[in-house]
Amino acid sequence: MEGKGIELNVGPVHPATHGVLKLVADIEGDTVKNAKVEIGFLHRGKEKIAELRYFNSYFPIVDKLDYVGALNWEILWASTVEKAMNLEINDRVKYIRAVMAEIQRIMSHLVYIGSFGQDLGNLTFFIWALRERELLMDIVEEISGGRLAPMYNRVGGVFYDFTDGIADKINAAISKIEEKVKKEYKAMTYGNSLFIMRSKGIGFMSQKVIKENGVTGPNMRASGIKRDLRKDEPYLVYDKVDFEIITENDSDVYARFMVRVREILESIKIIRQLLKDMPRGDTKISAPWIMKVPAGYTLVRHEMSKGEGAMFLVTDGGLKPYRLKIRSPSFYSLQALPLVLEGCKVADAFVITASMDPVMGEVDR
Amino acid sequence: MIFNEIYSMLAYYLPPKANLIASALATFVLVLIVLIATPIILGWVDRKFSARIQSRYGPIYVGKFGLLQNFADVIKLMGKNFVTNQHVDRFSYNLIPVLSSVLSFLLIALLPFGAPSLTFISLPYSLLFIYILLAFSPLLIIIASWGENNKFAVLGGFRSAAQITTYELALIVTFISIGMVNGSYDIINVIASQSLIWNILYLPLTAIVFFIGSIAVIERAPFDLPESSQELQAGWRIEYSGLKYGLFMIGDYVKLLAVSILFASLFLGGWSGAFLPGIIWFWIKTVVVLMLLMSLRWSLGRPRIDQLLSIGWKWLLPLSVLNLIIVGMVMLI
Repeated sequence: MEGKGIELNVGPVHPATHGVLKLVADIEGDTVKNAKVEIGFLHRGKEKIAELRYFNSYFPIVDKLDYVGALNWEILWASTVEKAMNLEINDRVKYIRAVMAEIQRIMSHLVYIGSFGQDLGNLTFFIWALRERELLMDIVEEISGGRLAPMYNRVGGVFYDFTDGIADKINAAISKIEEKVKKEYKAMTYGNSLFIMRSKGIGFMSQKVIKENGVTGPNMRASGIKRDLRKDEPYLVYDKVDFEIITENDSDVYARFMVRVREILESIKIIRQLLKDMPRGDTKISAPWIMKVPAGYTLVRHEMSKGEGAMFLVTDGGLKPYRLKIRSPSFYSLQALPLVLEGCKVADAFVITASMDPVMGEVDR
Repeated sequence: MIFNEIYSMLAYYLPPKANLIASALATFVLVLIVLIATPIILGWVDRKFSARIQSRYGPIYVGKFGLLQNFADVIKLMGKNFVTNQHVDRFSYNLIPVLSSVLSFLLIALLPFGAPSLTFISLPYSLLFIYILLAFSPLLIIIASWGENNKFAVLGGFRSAAQITTYELALIVTFISIGMVNGSYDIINVIASQSLIWNILYLPLTAIVFFIGSIAVIERAPFDLPESSQELQAGWRIEYSGLKYGLFMIGDYVKLLAVSILFASLFLGGWSGAFLPGIIWFWIKTVVVLMLLMSLRWSLGRPRIDQLLSIGWKWLLPLSVLNLIIVGMVMLI
């Protein structure tokens, strides 16, 4: 086709962009020539806010970083401050945090695969995925009192112990999710020929692109790179449980979807082991609510549901952080997005964007 | 025709001239009832059905089982302001909703409602006329998308044009096959000649082609690419709101019913069937087809436009031609 193409502005308010992401795509015919990603619509200066707050008062802000994976970030922030203070937390707290992290990972992946199905035009699947997420939401609510932003952790432990009989409820919920993922989701998505037709063979992300842009997490593992902080630098109690690093080799959209589906099953395996081995003990150590943290530099990395999240904390011995730098995995996935979008079809552009699993809360910070 | 029926019923009571006016009025009222009731009832069924699939309740608050919800929605749509963007071409922008809904109502007026006499318009070549009405819609969509002057609308309009022209070719072959097998292009004759063996047994491939092609032509999910609310927001309908958008919605449901009636009468023998009265058979078949169309909408994602076109050109059209050739050879022998 000759002549100038169309410059299409998608977003920041658009049903398919997962929050306030804006894509500017140059389109010729039905092909995306190049695409730019514009971010910053949800910028709230969260790193700066950290400098103004006490260490324990920063948890509500951390919750809103990745609003579908809040507990993961809470645990990371708590671990960072504990490392800076040289606090040793109880074993039970480690187990509880690991269970909550995995529950949150399942919830985050369910949102991912649901909204992915929705981007393919299948609204039913989105609602089904949220229906399963609701089972875990109820559990998080019973344990912590919150749902999307639980505010469950604090420096030195967690606020509440597990309620009576919650282990059985968790087991029942994850068994149900396991069954649904293996049967219903297969029929609807990864075993469905229409779904495979749409998602296979598009959005290739080579290992070179991944390494140059610092993409991590499921997006990276879908391209065959075997790297998972839970295995490579075990934190909490991940060295005591038996699980595998999920990888796929196709590096396309379907592979990224499958990594998430299989990680849900793997997380279910982890939760079962953790619940079986959970020790007794206190859920907090007596740390004051407002405390001084010794001066120094602290870096802690955890495996979030979307990749490697890290916090670099600079303290000057005062009541508040001197500087906090947050590394959010979605930001790096979005950095690689224009390279992946180049030359794809218009309809695929939205699917590929969805396959990167961006959450704008943690991208814009 | 319904008009003739009413006229002959009233002939005993009224003088001819008054009868003419009275029966015309009665027909008009009937038309209005059908036009208003179809989208509202179908909309309710669609909502409840999708809710059951998605483990939701669906409408429950307005009326018993939420039956009045759609009436409320229609009233709400009527009360909305006409929002017109400055850059749209007003003539085509205002014309298209009216034209497209008139076309879909004409479509349903040509179809029988369960008995030979229950049609609003009866024509000797009704199948061809139905085809013409279906063939009109891409033209309207292109005009609408161009007149809206919006990038998303233009993309949707192009998709729509490509999609519908592809699938109309498959549909015309279907109609030709039907005409060959049954020896008529009148939908009532076609049904009458299926009293022993349904067309679906003669033309199984054509039936599948027609089923898929009709979803594409009426732009229902999974083939709703021109609208694809997740990618193009609403495609060629992006600038429409209020009652104008409501007209499109109403037209959609009417077309959905028209296609299911068409499938039931062309391939499943219409009102032919044992034990039960014909009209009940007719509606059983129509509702089964309707439910099938609806469940497809709520369980499948949509393919990409090039995949859709390649299905149409590479599979559906050759298959329907193949079936046509087989039928022709059998008839020659």
